[in-house]
Amino acid sequence: MGPVTTVAQVFGAIQMAKATASAFCTNFFPAQGKLQAWIDHGELLGELRDRSAFFLRKDRDFWHLYFCASDVATLQRDIRELPALTTERVAIDLVGSEALLGEVLNAVESAGFRRYSRLVRLARPGEPARPQSPANGTQVLCADQSDGPAIISLLESSFDRYADQLPALYEIEAAIASRQVLAVKHAGALAAVLYFESQGFTSTVRYWVVAAEFRSHRFGSAAMRHYLASQSAVRRFILWVTADNENAVLKYRHYGYAPDGLIDHVLVNNLINP
Amino acid sequence: MKALPEILKEIRPEFDFGASSDFIADGMLDSFDMVTLVATLDKTYGISIQGTDIVPENFKNLQTIQTLLRQCGVQL
Repeated sequence: MGPVTTVAQVFGAIQMAKATASAFCTNFFPAQGKLQAWIDHGELLGELRDRSAFFLRKDRDFWHLYFCASDVATLQRDIRELPALTTERVAIDLVGSEALLGEVLNAVESAGFRRYSRLVRLARPGEPARPQSPANGTQVLCADQSDGPAIISLLESSFDRYADQLPALYEIEAAIASRQVLAVKHAGALAAVLYFESQGFTSTVRYWVVAAEFRSHRFGSAAMRHYLASQSAVRRFILWVTADNENAVLKYRHYGYAPDGLIDHVLVNNLINP
Repeated sequence: MKALPEILKEIRPEFDFGASSDFIADGMLDSFDMVTLVATLDKTYGISIQGTDIVPENFKNLQTIQTLLRQCGVQL
């Protein structure tokens, strides 16, 4: 694979895979801004085949694999030939409704990937939560740039880097600049973080976490209520959560979230150990 | 036969699609919604929208979706 240096290269490669498509399949839905940031940071590699295109995005000590193929048979044939699969740690996300993912799952598993995690999307209608008095005088503030390293440390210690698409420091800094990271601090320490992305009438909670030493202080609850109340223009709240994390699913249900039918299967190659 | 605004309303009842000129920028449809919408349009109008046509520019607003439907042979 070679480095991708322009967004046009990516869209050109996708278009070529589509040109011969009988049943186009992909797990690559890049927003232009994110794509440009990956390219600017030298994180994206690409490989174009006759009827398919593959992209690898560097993330910490492994790669995310994205594909576009004219059909599932082509995907199954071409993905096996990627040299990176035998030398690098690779994870792949397959998103869709459970019923529609079967064939692609089989194709990816036949290339040596194994199922690692399953996430479900939850959605909530946009009725802002009633603002509540902060618990114990808890103040929820927008994070500032100096919080970036503590936020990344908290995310890395609380989430799974292969399954949860953890942001790089530069992404956290951009989110902080956009006032999309809420923080609760206690005695100067970062106690809770709620990291979200809003676009138009939809808002996505990316990460909601309370540091282990600050649990049971209702800091997480304060952050969530502040977030929901602050997004008054939003009509649809969504998020992804690990399906078997019953505790997290229950908490989100408490705030009105419910499954909307979309699934994310995360698979990893055999260089990623359990 | 259901009209396009009605179909969109069933998929995302929380939004007023008539009031937007860019469903993607306004956060009313994402890539995954597009796949759901395509399945519904295929079924409703008896067509088969090609994978190559499932791109954001074809789902930007009511007009672009109607243009796509016409290209697929739907008489609106």
